[in-house]
Amino acid sequence: MEAWVFSNIVVAILITAAVGLTGVVLRSRMWSNAFLSLWRRRRVAIIAIGFYVLVALLDSVSWVGGEQFGEDAVAKYQAQSILDRAFAGIRERSYSAPLASVEFYGGAPLVHPGRHLLGTDLLGRDVLHLALKGARVALLIGGLTSLIAIPLALLFGVSAGYFGGRIDDFVFFIMSTLASMPGLLLLITLIMVMGKSTFSVCIALAVTGWVGFCRVSRGETIKLRELEYISAARALGVGEMRIIFRHILPNLAHLVIITFVLMFSGLVLSEAILSWLGIGVDGSWGQMIDQARDELSRDPIVWWNISAAGSALFGLILAVNFVGDALRDVMDPRTLREGE
Amino acid sequence: MTGGAGVSGTLRGARRPGPAWVVMLVCTLLACTNNPYPDADADKKILYTSFREAPRTLDPAVAYTTSAHAITGAVYETLLEYHYLKRPYTLIPGLAAGLPDTRSDAEGVTVYRFELRPGVLYQEDPSFGLGGAGRTTREVSTADIEFQLMRLADPAVNSPVVEPLSNVLGFRDFGERLRVRREAEPEFATLPAHEQYADVGPIEGVVVDAPLGLAVYVASDYPQILYWFAMPFTTPMPWEAVQYYDGEDGRPRLADHPVGAGPYVLAEYDKQARYVLDVNPNWYGVRHPEWKAPAATYPSEGEPEDLAAGRLDPAYVGRPLPFIERLEARREKEAIPYFNKFLQGYYDAAGVIRESFDKVIHEGGLSDEMARRGISLEKSVEPTVFYIGFNMDDEVIGTVAQEPGRKLRQAMSLVVDTEEYNRLFSNGRGVPAQSPLPPGIFGYDPDYVNPYRLVDLERARGLMKAAGYADGIDPETGKPLTLTFDTPDTSAQGRLRFEFFTHAWRQLGIDVEVAATNYNKFQEKVRNGAYQIFMWGWVADYPDPENFLFLLWSDMARSASGGPNTANFKHPRYDELYLEMKSKPNGEERMVLIREMTDILQRERPWIELNHAEDYALFHDWLSNVKPFGMSFPTVKYRDLDAGARTRQREAWNEPVLWPLYALIIIFVAVTVPGVVTFIRERQ
Repeated sequence: MEAWVFSNIVVAILITAAVGLTGVVLRSRMWSNAFLSLWRRRRVAIIAIGFYVLVALLDSVSWVGGEQFGEDAVAKYQAQSILDRAFAGIRERSYSAPLASVEFYGGAPLVHPGRHLLGTDLLGRDVLHLALKGARVALLIGGLTSLIAIPLALLFGVSAGYFGGRIDDFVFFIMSTLASMPGLLLLITLIMVMGKSTFSVCIALAVTGWVGFCRVSRGETIKLRELEYISAARALGVGEMRIIFRHILPNLAHLVIITFVLMFSGLVLSEAILSWLGIGVDGSWGQMIDQARDELSRDPIVWWNISAAGSALFGLILAVNFVGDALRDVMDPRTLREGE
Repeated sequence: MTGGAGVSGTLRGARRPGPAWVVMLVCTLLACTNNPYPDADADKKILYTSFREAPRTLDPAVAYTTSAHAITGAVYETLLEYHYLKRPYTLIPGLAAGLPDTRSDAEGVTVYRFELRPGVLYQEDPSFGLGGAGRTTREVSTADIEFQLMRLADPAVNSPVVEPLSNVLGFRDFGERLRVRREAEPEFATLPAHEQYADVGPIEGVVVDAPLGLAVYVASDYPQILYWFAMPFTTPMPWEAVQYYDGEDGRPRLADHPVGAGPYVLAEYDKQARYVLDVNPNWYGVRHPEWKAPAATYPSEGEPEDLAAGRLDPAYVGRPLPFIERLEARREKEAIPYFNKFLQGYYDAAGVIRESFDKVIHEGGLSDEMARRGISLEKSVEPTVFYIGFNMDDEVIGTVAQEPGRKLRQAMSLVVDTEEYNRLFSNGRGVPAQSPLPPGIFGYDPDYVNPYRLVDLERARGLMKAAGYADGIDPETGKPLTLTFDTPDTSAQGRLRFEFFTHAWRQLGIDVEVAATNYNKFQEKVRNGAYQIFMWGWVADYPDPENFLFLLWSDMARSASGGPNTANFKHPRYDELYLEMKSKPNGEERMVLIREMTDILQRERPWIELNHAEDYALFHDWLSNVKPFGMSFPTVKYRDLDAGARTRQREAWNEPVLWPLYALIIIFVAVTVPGVVTFIRERQ
């Protein structure tokens, strides 16, 4: 299957899931109250995240065909996203400042004067386009890695916390071993071994990032398994798996959601650091920052490339962190009581 | 009690000098200077320079980097040298009394006979004590050159220049005999190197026919061998130094302690931070200025631009070298601090760093700001070539594809705009290459324009159509032709660079994917022939067209012999011409051969020639006789400087800026006085 077809299918699934989730939220009084409370607290941050998601979706829906894009004779045979099509054929020769009508060095007139809101890079590519494209990579890294790391952490954490004994010893040994390794070095080693690709970066980030949540879920499971209703279920002869899936995991749901949001911003930042070290993902904000780092020492300085990537990265992480904090307030019964 | 009083007294005593400390600190700050060098050296002719990469070794048999040659080239003397000013590069006698007598016999062997200058001494060094108690130096003999050639052939030394020197009769045989003997007799391998060599030697083609006479027999027709005698690889090496500096009993290794007969000696060496070269009082140019030896006297001839640039100043012409009494080099890992120190006058010369290019260079010349500071700019084209290569063994893009493959390569060549590439990635530095030969090398034709190195999109599209790839569509797949560009460069700048090329080819409808891997993986791909397009460069070992044109000689094909012909270009006529050209002296006959070879390359397009690197050298007006050399050859002995002018300029440019200190004192007083006053009032 072509990559773009797969991407479109994923987008369709995500949209369907989002619609379904909205239905669930609307039907459940608890969840709809929680969302309303979240909306009241962090309206701007939620809108910002929504914008990033929208941009990422616009960059994920693609198809083959259409007219030739500028001088690029290959593009019409390759899948182009909605975002790519919106910025097609506006390439310049080299650097130009935001909204400029001439090149930054040399002063030659631009082909598309005043069209580049955030200027152009060394190769004349529109910086706004590059910055917007980074949103898809960031959400992909954050989302995919969390989808790998959280189930892994839940598997180990719940098993260790619920069954205890040797399983707990084993899980704790793995956690301690991983925690004793320098995270960045482990990341670099894993990426070097697996080869540089988006998926291998996600795997490497997940392998090094599950330990923290595993510890939390283990502790929470130990607490839950001692509660009366779990003991009662056990006394009534309910199976271990049923207890875990019916009684333990639902009670960890709020932790999963909070962890997902907080882990997300950490992962996006980690990818930016990896890109800065030259082993990140193509098209990410980290890579833009890496490419632009020499530009800060140019004279006169080229500031718009790094500013665009830095601001986009900062905006997403700030919004996600704000929402994460509010989520904790909304979903943690203790903070709710304190708040009330 | 007494102790307690004592402690109390000490504490009071410790508090009391507080104001004194402040006064001392202020005085120290006021006396502070950013000058990194001792004041006592201010009036000395010391050249201050820098290096970025720490040399790995200073053993002249092995050292092959620019940073190492900056030292080995100054410490070790060679039989021949290059004329400092003349271009194309011309060989002159160094340690040799003259250029060698050359004689060819009927069996295809050429003999080069060198005559060494008499009475040339090595630098003072304790290692010479091995040759007799109390000795600190001795005379250089041709046996020392023979010894060094044996070291080059020695497999244990692992010299990188074994291949070209294998043209010397019996060179490889000697190395092989040595290896076999060492394997057969382990005890033999523990003997000092000179004893082993004496036992296994001599090299058939190296004959010491007199204490100062040396004949070198070259088996094949390889006149380029003479250039190797102008490099530190073939310097006379005293056996005493090799034996003494073995890294045992606190003695350094030879790799860190060079012992030569050159114009300078290595006086201090901390390879990670700093080294100092002092004039060698034993150098023949210093001891015998009356000889007026060509390599020990400032030249009287040069190029017309040398006269204009003041490099043929009568005040220098014919004067004995060297002028600079000491060279001090400090390691600078970061470009910006290094360049700032140059602007402050703490380095005498510098290159133009990319980050400050637009501040320093304006419309190809110096900016007004730099000119006002008395800085001069010297541009020179380095004997290098950078190119994009095609793997000619590839089925799509190589020779196997026949005419369509050739047309495809021609089309791809026609859309790569080198001037734009230089502008974007090298601040416009670099001469667009039309053939492998750079300016300054015989065979370079400044009027030659390669018709496939012009940018012509329409013609390129026509060629694509003729090749069977109309609009870039591969008839087999019905989709754009897909090719792979392999590279070991995974850096951010590298990505931009390759994006430049792939964007150009996308205009033809060719989809070129960049496969950036680590160096080992890339090498593996090259070994297995699993690559289509690559980017490479070559820096000349010596200034002869052979050193560039052999890069496309079929005997050097990577697939066949692991040689540097990475394009695996095999063309019988080109090979024929190459072998004929190789042995010809520079002249019209050779030029005709080179032209035909260039025509073949123009048509076949195994390479898309990109550029010849251009060096921009900046230097202050107190430094004279600066001429960039291009090749790795130390020119410090020709330079001179006016230390007084330098001191004056440094003082003017680095006057202490004291107002921040005064402002701090005022702020400190303004903040503390009200506090103290309040405190005293409250206490009262």
